[in-house]
Amino acid sequence: MKSTQYTEKTLEHFRNPRNVGTLEGPNVAVGRVGNPVCGDMMDIYIDVEDDRIKDIKFQTFGCGSAVATSSMITELVQGMTLDEALKVSRGDVADALDGLPPIKMHCSNLAADALHEAIKNWRAGIKPEDAMATPVEKSCHPIPAAVAEVEIQNLDEYGGKGFYRKVDDLSELADQRVVVLDTGDRAAQLAIDLTDQTARAVLMTTGKEPSVSPAVRSALRLSDVKVLAEAQPLELLGEGELERIRVHDLSEDEEYELTADVFVVLE
Amino acid sequence: MSPADPGEALAREHIVYADYQSAKPLDPRVVTAMLPYFTEKFGNAASLHGVGDVATAALEEARARVAAFFGAEPREIVFTSGATEASNLALVGYALRNRRKGDHVIISEAEHISILNIAKYLEKNGFRVTRLPIDLYGRVSAKKLRARITDETILVSVQWASSEIGTVQPIAEIAEMLEGTGIALHSDAVAAEGLMPIDTGVVPVSLLSLSSNDLYGPRGLGALYVRQGVQVAPVLLGGGQERGLRSGSEDLASIVGMAEAADILGAEMGVEVSRIQAIRDRLAERVLAEIPDSHLNGHPEQRLPNNAHFRFDAVEGEAMVLSLRDGGIAASTGSACSSKTLEPSHTLLSCGLLHEEAHGSLEFTFGRWSREDDVERIMAALPGVIARLRALSPLYKTTAPAAT
Repeated sequence: MKSTQYTEKTLEHFRNPRNVGTLEGPNVAVGRVGNPVCGDMMDIYIDVEDDRIKDIKFQTFGCGSAVATSSMITELVQGMTLDEALKVSRGDVADALDGLPPIKMHCSNLAADALHEAIKNWRAGIKPEDAMATPVEKSCHPIPAAVAEVEIQNLDEYGGKGFYRKVDDLSELADQRVVVLDTGDRAAQLAIDLTDQTARAVLMTTGKEPSVSPAVRSALRLSDVKVLAEAQPLELLGEGELERIRVHDLSEDEEYELTADVFVVLE
Repeated sequence: MSPADPGEALAREHIVYADYQSAKPLDPRVVTAMLPYFTEKFGNAASLHGVGDVATAALEEARARVAAFFGAEPREIVFTSGATEASNLALVGYALRNRRKGDHVIISEAEHISILNIAKYLEKNGFRVTRLPIDLYGRVSAKKLRARITDETILVSVQWASSEIGTVQPIAEIAEMLEGTGIALHSDAVAAEGLMPIDTGVVPVSLLSLSSNDLYGPRGLGALYVRQGVQVAPVLLGGGQERGLRSGSEDLASIVGMAEAADILGAEMGVEVSRIQAIRDRLAERVLAEIPDSHLNGHPEQRLPNNAHFRFDAVEGEAMVLSLRDGGIAASTGSACSSKTLEPSHTLLSCGLLHEEAHGSLEFTFGRWSREDDVERIMAALPGVIARLRALSPLYKTTAPAAT
């Protein structure tokens, strides 16, 4: 089955998703699952009264079935007791949509997981802001606090060949893919300044957010700097000069290689 | 009965077709040229009788026309079942035939999935394959290539242009660098053919993968250009057609179709390409100006004239394509959710994009029946699609939370 061969019901929920949005209030909990790296991420908000789901909303970044399954699950469990809602399975969501293409079944997993996570958080008394600040269960990983202490193998091997501890002339980095390691305001400012020289300036941080002052944070938001959060550089790779950085994705506990021409760790 | 005009058919269905990279309609003139070869001139070029002679004459005449379009000699053209087969013959055939010279092959990271998988097959069969990185814009560098060449290197494969992000490779520079080294250069020209001049007399490549459909000819046909003197072993064995390099009776009707398609482009390409490029330029200009947090992927100048490849922050590609489909617009994406592997485009990742950015890509490719009006239709739909999906997305923080 082709991935785009969705049932009419799936397409209808994608076109007109129910219960989109967020909730606030003392009885609200949220379940967040997925990772933008994988192409889908979901927040499901529940407002609980007398152990029942009084109101439910969602926000989803993802493909057609990710949107449709989140929409469908909010309809399915509205008004249910928490125990009833916990019994709603991945299969139930797919069935309610008259089926999903096999390759898309993982999306229905996400919607059910997000709902279950929200109920779990409500029962544990975890507030939405804390729930969204904590990595989801399977991806729990201790995040190193002190960024500058990150140990990277073979830095010196690429000294002057893509690895720099200071940058005197920004124009030398024109059109290069530059990754600046987050070591505070100066690093963030360097990344911002670099956007005049290249379309690709990345600020890599091991934290959820760069460790910068509020003023620099807002400048960063307005700039074209791409922030790569929860990423720990492990090793520099390349044939004679830097070409890739091996990165540990702290949120998914996975490793991948990021293409880059320049890596800057300010002194 | 003459074949329907693709432009009229699309207009009747009210469809904006902006996915010429995936499939092109046949030019009705091509279909007309092919028709006699199904029923009247149906012979087999291998037969010794008069009916066979008619076929032989038509086959060789068509071969000469295809060769001329690519600045080649007729004997340098081998017809295949498509560009995928041509690339198999080029890479596997060349590597096997020249194994005694070395076991090292270099391919670029921007290559089409077919080339990547052929390279994996070579690795399984004892060859060493090096992958050549690309820059921010998707281009390979001759300098980085040079650094990877060893005494064992026998073959380099670099596409003429990317079918995905449209970036054109410095193929002339690479060909010049490799000339006289004894290292063969293969180029997959499928994305570029019909959109820019490809002249083997000017750019000395050794092997060139070609597709008929990309010239508005029939699908199921392609060709491999094999420069005179370049030795290739066949990968499809049988009756020894195509100078022994590709067995199986030639698909004469399709071959005549490809020749006709090449002739039409030979006469009309200049005018056609400027017209298509104006449409593309207009779309790129409007998208980047009118849709916030939109970006162009690929090289700003060194790119195919029909290709506009964007990414939009916090929006996923398949969701965009599905939404545009509802508005009668046919586009494509490099998002994982549209592929079989759930991995986003390798080309975008090699350009240095993060996974979540690569998931948010949207590609428009224009062609012979594209109209200026298509841009208006796309721009009537696209900003709304992006806004709606961003309202759904937990990643897009600069807008207020959506309410139902």
